[in-house]
Amino acid sequence: MRYGLFRACLLLLVAAFFLSVAAAPAQSSSRYYSGSSTGTNAVNFEAQLIWGTNDKQSDPKLKPADSKLIGKLQKSPFKWDHYFEMHKEPIKLRLNEEKTITMSRNCVISVTYLKDENIKFQLFGKGKLANTVTQPLPKGRLLITGGDAENSTAWFVVLKQVE
Amino acid sequence: MTEEQQLKLQAFLDGELPESDGREVAAWIARDADATALLGELKNTRNALKGFEPEVKLPESREFHWSKIKREIERTARESAVAPKASLFTWFRRALIPLGAAVALGLVAIIAIHPVPGSHHPIPMTANVMVGDANAFTYRDDTQDMTVVWLSYPTENKFAEKSSADTLPAK
Repeated sequence: MRYGLFRACLLLLVAAFFLSVAAAPAQSSSRYYSGSSTGTNAVNFEAQLIWGTNDKQSDPKLKPADSKLIGKLQKSPFKWDHYFEMHKEPIKLRLNEEKTITMSRNCVISVTYLKDENIKFQLFGKGKLANTVTQPLPKGRLLITGGDAENSTAWFVVLKQVE
Repeated sequence: MTEEQQLKLQAFLDGELPESDGREVAAWIARDADATALLGELKNTRNALKGFEPEVKLPESREFHWSKIKREIERTARESAVAPKASLFTWFRRALIPLGAAVALGLVAIIAIHPVPGSHHPIPMTANVMVGDANAFTYRDDTQDMTVVWLSYPTENKFAEKSSADTLPAK
């Protein structure tokens, strides 16, 4: 009798578990992907070319990078004293759409917006593919590609989703 | 006719009277028309009932039937005396495995519904560096919400050739 009651409770728990698992993807998708991966609305991204250097600002025309971005980079291993925004490009993409943007004379990027807020980011140097990254890029997340430049400086291409 | 006389007639019909009483009643019936009529009526009634009375026969003898019931009672009593009473610990031990499984399932369900506080994204933030390039590595910092793919090219790389102006033209 008691065992039967216990089995019934166990069955209920298992049923609740499967229901919750079945409901979880729907919840998470509505919580994190609402409105941006429907395939009908365009999603806005922004690509920035950043220069990192330890030298004092030599050229007054150079524009300091966004303070939030500086804060994040300075908390990472890719730490420089100054970060300057050399170029900024808005990118509007629909689902499965790809756009190629020239960030500098030698730096060209290609961004493809995939389902579930995934993006495919490709970096070209002198027309040759240097690197490809595919990962989710929800709002608030940064995808940064960087490398060493001359005189102990560095370059960064920052990609993020914007409003 | 008195009630006693009627009962005597009934007993005579059933053969329950002693021989002497039976002779007396037979003589009485012979001389009394009412007694003869009542006897005839009783006979008819008995014959009518005989045809409709169901006859039930036991498949076994009465003694054997009751001895079977007695044996069954004794057997049940013996079994209930032998069966040990399950203790609370036994119940706990029996319930331990299914209970543990239920708790584990419950925890998994809770985690599936509610992400752990502090994890900003339930989606795996795994960066895939797809180009087969030994000079590239990925740094991921979930607290800062950023992924950095660092390309460890030599200084004279595709992006920085002679001066920063070449790579990073000021706008």
